Amino acid sequence: MYDLLWHSIVGLLHYKYLVPLVAGTIAGVVGGALPGVTITMTVIIVLPFTFGLDPLQGLAAMTGVYVGGSAGGLITATLLGIPGTPSSIATTFDGHPMARKGQPGRAVWLGVWASFCGGLLGGLFLIAATGPLAKIALEFGPWEFFSLFIFALSMVAGLMEASLLKGFISGAIGLIVTIMGNDPMLGAPRLTLGIDFLEGGIPFLPVLIGVFAFAQIMSDVEKMGGAAGPASAVERIANLSASHLKVIWEILSRPVLLLWSSLVGLLIGVLPAIGGSAANMIAYDQAKKFSRHPERFGSGTPEGIIASESANNANVGGSLVTIMAFGIPGDAVTAVMLGALTIHGIQSGPLFISQHPRIAYGIFAAYLLAHPIMVILMGLGARAMLRVVSVPKAALFPVVLVLCTVGAYALSNTMSNVYVLLLFGVLGYAMVKTGFPLAPLIIGVVLGDQIEVNLIQALMTDSNPWLFITRPISGGLLAAAVLSVVFALWQHRRHRLRVAGRGTAEQEVDF
Amino acid sequence: MIGRDGLAGLVVLATSLALFWLTLGLQRNPLVPIGPGFYPRIVLGLTAALGFALVVADLLARRKARVAGPPRNYRLVALSFGAFGVYVLLLPGLGFRIATFLFVAAANLLLSPPQRPAHWLRALALGAATALIAYYVFEQYLLVLLPRGRWTDF
Repeated sequence: MYDLLWHSIVGLLHYKYLVPLVAGTIAGVVGGALPGVTITMTVIIVLPFTFGLDPLQGLAAMTGVYVGGSAGGLITATLLGIPGTPSSIATTFDGHPMARKGQPGRAVWLGVWASFCGGLLGGLFLIAATGPLAKIALEFGPWEFFSLFIFALSMVAGLMEASLLKGFISGAIGLIVTIMGNDPMLGAPRLTLGIDFLEGGIPFLPVLIGVFAFAQIMSDVEKMGGAAGPASAVERIANLSASHLKVIWEILSRPVLLLWSSLVGLLIGVLPAIGGSAANMIAYDQAKKFSRHPERFGSGTPEGIIASESANNANVGGSLVTIMAFGIPGDAVTAVMLGALTIHGIQSGPLFISQHPRIAYGIFAAYLLAHPIMVILMGLGARAMLRVVSVPKAALFPVVLVLCTVGAYALSNTMSNVYVLLLFGVLGYAMVKTGFPLAPLIIGVVLGDQIEVNLIQALMTDSNPWLFITRPISGGLLAAAVLSVVFALWQHRRHRLRVAGRGTAEQEVDF
Repeated sequence: MIGRDGLAGLVVLATSLALFWLTLGLQRNPLVPIGPGFYPRIVLGLTAALGFALVVADLLARRKARVAGPPRNYRLVALSFGAFGVYVLLLPGLGFRIATFLFVAAANLLLSPPQRPAHWLRALALGAATALIAYYVFEQYLLVLLPRGRWTDF
């Protein structure tokens, strides 16, 4: 295993792969630093550029975006107090006060090195856990896969804070998208509404791009015409230099905090579709609870920055595990990566590592290499990237929409995918405005076909439906699904009590 | 009175029932025990139930006073969607380069209304740069085909 990993690392250092990896990491850092542009959006923008590349080049670029984006958000979070991405929200709590106290370099580099350490710990988990988990999944029959996908879907729908019902409806809409078109078992046309294009089913990438890109862009467009951006604050940042050894020692002298925060990030990454935004907040909360000086949190304590940044980069490793071992996207970014694999005819899931070891280990290698590249990029251009923040959204958004259009069109060189993009763009924005979470929709769209295929295969093998419950792993997974719903009900009740009396202000949406 | 969630629930309920009704007409293969409508009916039945539950939950919910948030420019959102819709419609006719140039310039002017003549030039330059750079990067370098205009052959 380690031989293959070493060969992959050496192979990835060839300019053919290194260039996309570096370019992806740059795009990720810049996208992460831009407030209002999330990692999902950045990976969607990068997607069409990967169509003309070989699979590993494309995936190296996307892995670079993922790692770079998870760290890039900390630049604006610390220096301007504006999180570049939802995964760096908690970094603002202590990063910005530290910068305002005259230590902007220390704040930024604590975040960068914590991201590096958390990311590498996530990488170790990714490399060690993916193979064994995939081996377990290889023992699964259709009953177990069906139950696993139901568990994933119930978890995603249930963990959304806004409304449990809306989470489930969102997931169900995703499943409805997949039942339109020919049925996957016999190819009989169904629910095509007389539209020829629908006979082949609705491809999931234009759905994903439309839903996320429009929901995010239009949510920003509706706020346009207000106060000017943060460009003026950039000039005040004088010096980002700091002693790297001192900063690294500050992190490594808190091993429990680093390990615990990374573990929190990893576990949240493994859970489908929750993502770095939850990871950094929960890790920050945990760090504060376990600290001997919780009162210092929020005033510029290094613990807050270390917890948040190590968790959100470790989260990336966790998300990659689920997609590589089970074919279940850990979040929207890995859903796009799944789409990129599909474009090249590669099926992710338990057989992925054994059938495509070069690509699987290439992803591991890209993940490991992206971290030092990210540190170098931050060292070379943190200040320059801060200036990118001043790019006007009026110029950025039309260009992003054009790239989304190219991404949708180039999937099969037909306008139909562009119409799907627009249709789901409207749906995504409408869902956000009515408080429906988008993550369950995407998980539903990604897993819908697999849920149906495994359900039908199981029932055709043995018509006894009780097997879903009596087979131990399948029954256990279904029990876990029920438990996750019960937990979600309890959590929602607590959430309702907490917000009772506060009124219902419109909330910012996490993409 | 029914609220926003209730209306959303009604839309979900009506759509899933309409699609459920369509699945009733699906032909079953006599050689296969499970027909093409089996799974869609489960999904649509569950969705209809969830939509109904959302309507009931909304009717039972006590209305809370909405806290006024920052003002939202929904007109601009509608116009942006409209501009993109026109772009999508014109794309097959005008081709990628012309349609993209027009869309990016128009969207830029829409999102940042021009105050000086220079702003018009900036929007036109942005449109031209986006169209040309995207065309050369995708078609020439990455070999990704882009729409060619039926009317312009460009």
